[in-house]
Order: sequence, then C-alpha cells, then structure tokens
Amino acid sequence: MKSRYDELRRSSWSLPDGKQKLAVLEEMIRIADRYMTEEDAYNTRIRYFAAAAEAGSQERMITAFAWCLAKYDQSPGAYSQHEIMWYYKWVIGMIWRFPVFTLEQIEAVFEDFKRRCMEYGYSLRPYYHKRSVYLLSRGLTQEAAACYKHWRGASRDPLADCQACEQNAIGHYLFSANQLKRGMQAVKPILDGKLSCRSIPQATYSEVMVPLLKLKQHEEAVAVGRKAFRTIKGPQYLEEQGVFLEFFTVTDLPRAVKIYNETIRYGLESKPSWERFNYLLSVQLFLKEWHRKKRRKRLAEDGRVTLGWLEQEITSLANAFNQRNGSDYMLTYIADKEKHMHRMIEAFQLRAE
Amino acid sequence: MKNMNFQVNLQGVIDLLSNHLYSEPGVFIRELLQNSVDAVTARKRLGHTFDETVKVEIFSSHTISFSDNGCGLTEEEIEQFLARIGGSAKRENQDSADDFIGQFGVGLLSCFVVSEEIVLITRSAYDGAEPLEWRGKPDGTYSIKKLKRQVPVGTTVYVKAKPEFEEYCEYYRVSELLEKYGQYLPTPVMLIEDKYERKINESKPPWLMDKPEAMAYVEGIAYHKPLDIIPLTSIIGGVHGIAHVLPYAVSLQDEKKHRVYLKNMLLSDRMTNILPPWAFFVNGIINTSSLRPTASREAFQENDLFFAVRDELGECIKRYLMELAGRDAELFRRLVLIHYASIKTMAVEDDELYALFIRHLRFETSYGELTMAEILRDHRLIYVTTTLDEYRQVARVARAQELLVVNGGYVHDLDLVRKVTEIDEDVTVDILNTLEFANQFEELDLEDKLTVQPFIDQGDALLDGFQCRCLVRWFEPADIPVLYNTNQDVNFFKLAEESEQQANKLFADVVHVIRSDLYDMPYAKLCFNYNNPMVRKAMETNDPQLRKASIELFYTQALLLGNHPMGAAELRMMNDSLLQFMNRGLDGAEVAR
Repeated sequence: MKSRYDELRRSSWSLPDGKQKLAVLEEMIRIADRYMTEEDAYNTRIRYFAAAAEAGSQERMITAFAWCLAKYDQSPGAYSQHEIMWYYKWVIGMIWRFPVFTLEQIEAVFEDFKRRCMEYGYSLRPYYHKRSVYLLSRGLTQEAAACYKHWRGASRDPLADCQACEQNAIGHYLFSANQLKRGMQAVKPILDGKLSCRSIPQATYSEVMVPLLKLKQHEEAVAVGRKAFRTIKGPQYLEEQGVFLEFFTVTDLPRAVKIYNETIRYGLESKPSWERFNYLLSVQLFLKEWHRKKRRKRLAEDGRVTLGWLEQEITSLANAFNQRNGSDYMLTYIADKEKHMHRMIEAFQLRAE
Repeated sequence: MKNMNFQVNLQGVIDLLSNHLYSEPGVFIRELLQNSVDAVTARKRLGHTFDETVKVEIFSSHTISFSDNGCGLTEEEIEQFLARIGGSAKRENQDSADDFIGQFGVGLLSCFVVSEEIVLITRSAYDGAEPLEWRGKPDGTYSIKKLKRQVPVGTTVYVKAKPEFEEYCEYYRVSELLEKYGQYLPTPVMLIEDKYERKINESKPPWLMDKPEAMAYVEGIAYHKPLDIIPLTSIIGGVHGIAHVLPYAVSLQDEKKHRVYLKNMLLSDRMTNILPPWAFFVNGIINTSSLRPTASREAFQENDLFFAVRDELGECIKRYLMELAGRDAELFRRLVLIHYASIKTMAVEDDELYALFIRHLRFETSYGELTMAEILRDHRLIYVTTTLDEYRQVARVARAQELLVVNGGYVHDLDLVRKVTEIDEDVTVDILNTLEFANQFEELDLEDKLTVQPFIDQGDALLDGFQCRCLVRWFEPADIPVLYNTNQDVNFFKLAEESEQQANKLFADVVHVIRSDLYDMPYAKLCFNYNNPMVRKAMETNDPQLRKASIELFYTQALLLGNHPMGAAELRMMNDSLLQFMNRGLDGAEVAR
C-alpha cells in the first residue's frame, strides 16, 4: 500500500488544481489512515487543505481540518502549532460562506480561534481581519468598522497574512465601506506590481472593478480586465471570474462566452456558498444579455443552466443567507449588483454607440 | 519649516547596486561593452564620420581596458553622469524610441564587483575638449584631473581585478564573455593581447539567417538538429527572431530558456517568459529594439507592451503550425508525436489550435487507444470519465456494451474531450456517472427478478455498513462476476466520517453539517452479472451461510481488483468467507476419500 501511496503522490504533483487532484489526495489520506503512521495521515491532510481550497471545495478543507485539529489537541507536541493555526485562519475565513452553518456555530468557531490565539500568544490581527470580512458579508457595516479598527491596531506577527494579501484585504474593506479613493490607494502597490504573492494580484483585479467604474475610470477598468483575463484561471477564482464575466458581457461578449464556457462546470460543481451565489448572479446577468438576441452558437451546459433554473438557485441561496443572518441584506446586495451592471452598460455600450 | 534632503550612505548604495543587482560578476563586461556602443551611437548622432570600433585590451597584472572612439565625456558630463548614481546620459525621455541600450545610469557600478578602482580616460567629441582622467572608488570617492598628454576622441576604461576575481581579466574569460554578449553587435569589437588581435563579432545574427543557415546554426550551438525553424516577428516590439522546434519531448515543469538580445546585445540566455507559456516545445532566439529592460538588465519590464509582444510572437508560432499542417503532413505528424503534452496544453487554451490539433490527438478509450478523428468517425455518443480510477472501473465492461468511454483522468483530456462539440455539432459528449453506469445494463425478467431478490436483500443487509448497495443485471463480458462502482465522494465521505469521530464537539458538529446538508450520502454499487456462472451458482443455493460467504467473497474480490483500500473489517470478511469455502471444500474432500 505504501507503493500505491507513493504512486498517487507522484501523480498528484503533475495534476492541475481541481477535482482530480482532490480524488487522488483523498485516496492517499485513506491509505495513510489505514496503513501508515498518524503523522503521515496528518501531513497528507495538510497537503489536501491547499488542494481543496484551490479546487474551490472549501467544505472539504474544513472537514479534513477538523481531524487535524483534534490530533493536534491530543498531542500538541507532535505537530506544529503555527501550522495548525495558520490553517485555522483559513477556516474562519471560509466557514461563514456556507449558509448551512448557523450564526451560533460560526460565532463559536471564531471564539475558539480567538481563545487559541490568546492562549498561544498570537496577535488577534487575523481574527479581526477575517471577522470584519464576515460582518461585511452580512451588511453589518458599523460592526465591521469597529473590527477594522482593531485589525489595523493589532500587531503583525507570523500568523498574519502576507503583505500583499493584507493590502488586498484592506482594499476590500475600504471598497465595501464605500471609501473608494482610499481603497484604490491601498491597492495601488499591488496594481503597480510592487506587492504580489500566489493569489495576488489575481484576487485584486476583481476587487477594483466596481470602484473603477464608480470613479468613472473606464480606461483603467479596461486595462485591469485585460490583465485579469490573462491571469485568472482555475476553480479557486469562481467569484472573481464572475466579476469579469459581467464586465466582458458588456465590453466583449466573445470573451464573456469563453469565461462562461470555462467556468460553468466549476460553478455547477460548487456547493451552496457565497462564491456560488455570486458566480451564479454573474451568470444570470450574462445570460440575460445573451438571450436578448437569437443566436446560433450553443453555450456549454445549456440544458441545465437556464434563466429559470438560475432564478430558482439564486433565490434559494439568497433566502438561505437571509434566514441564517436574520436579515434581508441579500436583497440589497442583489440590487447593488444589478445597479453595477446598469452602470457598466451605461459606461461602455452608450459610449460605443 | 526647513526642507531637508535624505542622506544616503554612498558606500551602502554602491555595494547594493554592484553586488546585489546582478546575478553574476561577468556582467561588468556587458555594461562596459554597452557604454562603448552607446558612446559610438551618440557620436554618430553628432554627424561625425569615423571608423567606429571598440577595443578591449588585456594587460598583465590582471588589468583590462575598454576603449571606444565614441563621443567621449566633458568634465560637466562626468560630474553629471559618472558621479551621480541613477543619472544616465541616455535618459532624457524614457519612453521615446531610441538607439541606446542603456538608460539607468548604474551600469558602471557593476565594475566594482570585480575591481577596487575604475579609471576612465576620455576626450569629448566636442571641439577643443581637453583629455580628462577620472578615478572612482567603491567607497564613493572620486577624482578628476586634466591630462597633459593628447588622447584621441573617445573613452577608455581600465579595470584591475580584485583578488579572487582575477579570472575575469584573463584572456579566455574575457573572450568568452565578449562573445556571449557582443557577438552580434554592429560595431566591430576587437580583443587584443600583446600583438595578437581578434575580431569578436563576425557571425551573422541568427535572426537574419535563412532557414538552412539557422538550422545549421542551432545544430552548432545546441548539438541537436531542430525539427524546424519558425520565424518570429513582432512589429510593435521591433522583434526579429527564430524559434527552433526541439527534436525531443520536454517536461511541462522545465524552465524555459530563451535567448534574448536587446539591440543586438545579449540580455539574457535564460529568459523564461518572452514566449507564451504553452510554447514549451520551442526555444527562441530573439532580438528586440523596443522592449524595456529592468535595471538589472536581465529581464524585461512586464508592462502591457511586453504582453502584447508576447501574444504577437505566440501568433507567429500558431500561424506556422496551421500552415505546416497543410504543407508538410509528415513533419506535422512527427511534431504532434514528440510534443504531445505541449500540444494538449495549447489546444486547451486556444480555440484555433484546438480545431487544428484535436483530430490528431490520441486518447485512451474502451476501444483501445484512438485518435479523436477515429473516435468521431465511428461514434456519435462519447462518454468520458473524470478520473483514471473511474475509467478503470468501467472500461472492460463498457467495451462489451459497445459504449465508447474515454479516460478523462489524464491532464487536460477531460477538457479536450468535452470541447469536441465545438468542432462537430452532431456529436454528444457526456460525463460518465459510474454509479449510474450499471443502470444501462439489461434488466432480468420478472420471474428471475423474484428469484434473486432474497440474495440481493441479503447482500444489502451485509454491505450496508460499507455504504454499498447491490443489484443484478445481465451484461457482457460473462467472465466478470461483479462490477463494483464508487465515485470519488465515497472516499471523501469515509474521510468525513473519520473527522466527525475524531473532532472536538465544535468541529464534529461542523463536519456533521457538511456531511448531511452539503452532500448526499453516496452509496457504492455492487452489480452482479447474471450472465456469469459463478454468480448463478451462488444465487441458486438455498444455504444462507453459503450465500453470505459468496456475497462477501464477491465484494472483497471486487475491492481488490479495483485497487480500493480495504479496511480491517473488509479484510476480516475476506478471510472468513475464504475460510468457509476452504472448510467446505476440504471437509468435503475428506468425506469423498
């Protein structure tokens, strides 16, 4: 079985991000659980975390994480404290994205993370950072602002996100708080190419699209769109792809079709989540424009992905979030997104005419 | 309020620039060569006519000199350009097209990597200019003095090697470096030692060669004959170059090493990104006049122009391939054969190339290895699996059912097969759901169904703990008794179960929600083949003990054959059932004797 494990591991190296890689790693974990040491099982799962996140299957990462956290708690000396906390930080950044989790569950996980940070002597910076993003997703701007203040006040330590990711996150917060110019200032080093990492600047491109259009910097928006089209690939950027699907729907329909055809499979495979919700919303805006005219070209998955189906999926997701959050913020969120689409149509289509 | 200037530690800055900006000490040769060529260009701009030349002379005691008969420098210019870091004479307008290679004003500092002192003797091309001597040291001090003796117009730089860097001032090393960087420069470069004089640049640059010349050239430098030469041009980037098609397969992970020249001077012989990432079956030799180098001069600034040029060069390679398919089918076939992996990557990324290549690509199918052209010729319905394991589960049976199933488990194959509807509208591509696969087989008639039902019920009860359901169908080939199908969620589910058991209360709840609300419990399927004599035999027996043992044996054999990891309970099951049969058989033998 060790040789089967090694064979799988070898093949996992050359696989691109996605379901196939996960399947291989899952089998490796099963083999490690049964026939190898606990340490092997633990380390295989650690590799699985990043693969699951990159395949857009955050729920799978959380599932494997639960096992590792338990093992860590059983023998804290055997595993790296920083490593487990690092991935715990990912978990608090993900868990609220699934409406199936109750607010109490989410709060309890945040609380547990906070307790551990204090116990292990880590700064609460990541805690406040992730929490502000979570609060914003519920439309709680004031509470998020308070969190943001704590976040910026807390010291940076090895648990903090890298400089590029933090700068991007600061931009995200400022944009959500409608401080567009300050936000643009925050992400400027990223757009200038001075800060980057594995997921930056890809993640930044989608952040700045709405602000750029609001600020009427249309040329810049076009330039960012072009770069994004070149760099954003793979299932982990579902929400981001949605942003550009919308943008190209208005500015360059053949490109929008290309993005749609490449990403819809990931969209269909994704579990009910914040990403799926945002992506499907973008697909809806795209399909509405697409169906304005009779067309010969067939889109991928055109049997399944119809406007009726989308309406149903989006409504049920929005309801799930609203119910969980005990508010009707998602309606405002959808309205905002539609407003943005109109803004884009105005900016580009009218200009072209 | 008082406005102040930052104070800069000069020695620190010089150390930083000279020792950390460049990847190897030899680059000072490049920088000096470049200054010389730029000086010659500048003098030509003044309208002077002269026999342009750059002379590099090797002296004993590890000293070399670089002399040019370019424009030289006045005292003012020395103050401005040599003594001010970052103040280049060539930088009035960074974005205007220009004939200079340099622009940053830090090049001369690279000499401090190998030398403790730079001595520069110069006379400006302006009328009546006096000869000057400038001496600079890495601690940031310098001196200028007027020379009494006459010197010709131009500049000479002397560099004396520090200990440990002596080799950089020896003939063989200097010669090698000059050739590397300057062999294609338009200005003649002479290397002199004692009375011996040699011209460095005499060969014709590869980007101006015709195809047979370029083939021979590549063979000479790379020791292999390229499959073909692709001419590269980009008008916006002022690029001329060639890409030679490698005659052997390269790994997708290998770093590309393209050789790139900026205005005929070598910029880097290991640039990775000047050609699109999918083009890893070629190596490029490229000369550009308008891309901007970075300060270290070992890469280009990755601005919009850079990417536009890269796309344009990619277009050249694409056009070549399309034209080749019509012109030389044999070569095209060889190219596809050798650079299979590369071509698959290209075809996934680009629609035009997809249309060009897809028919030539080979896939593993239930009918053996076939090209897409062969698949499309004989089949209108294509099934594709998402993983290799799923493919293995169904391949043999699918063949007997006359179903075409393609293994989509290899990199890119799934995407390639799915896209085939774009070039052939009447074909249908479906992702094979292995769990529903058995449903396609022939059902038994009512009578048989009723007969086997107790057997199936017993199987379900026995295997429920292993998330497995049983069914019976009639299918070919007859020698397969059972077909065990799972999909990948089954593995994830076992993993989730493990997590829920191990985790603390908080996370056990979280995992429970994921398991029950986000996923449906996936059951594996064990499909018995009514066409198989062993299965018939097992179903006909009325002995529940024997039936149990047969079911367990079928199940565990299926796991073994399918490479599925077996748990302790399953292992025990296998041993117990085998033991039962052995007991019966061996005891029976005893009785018979």
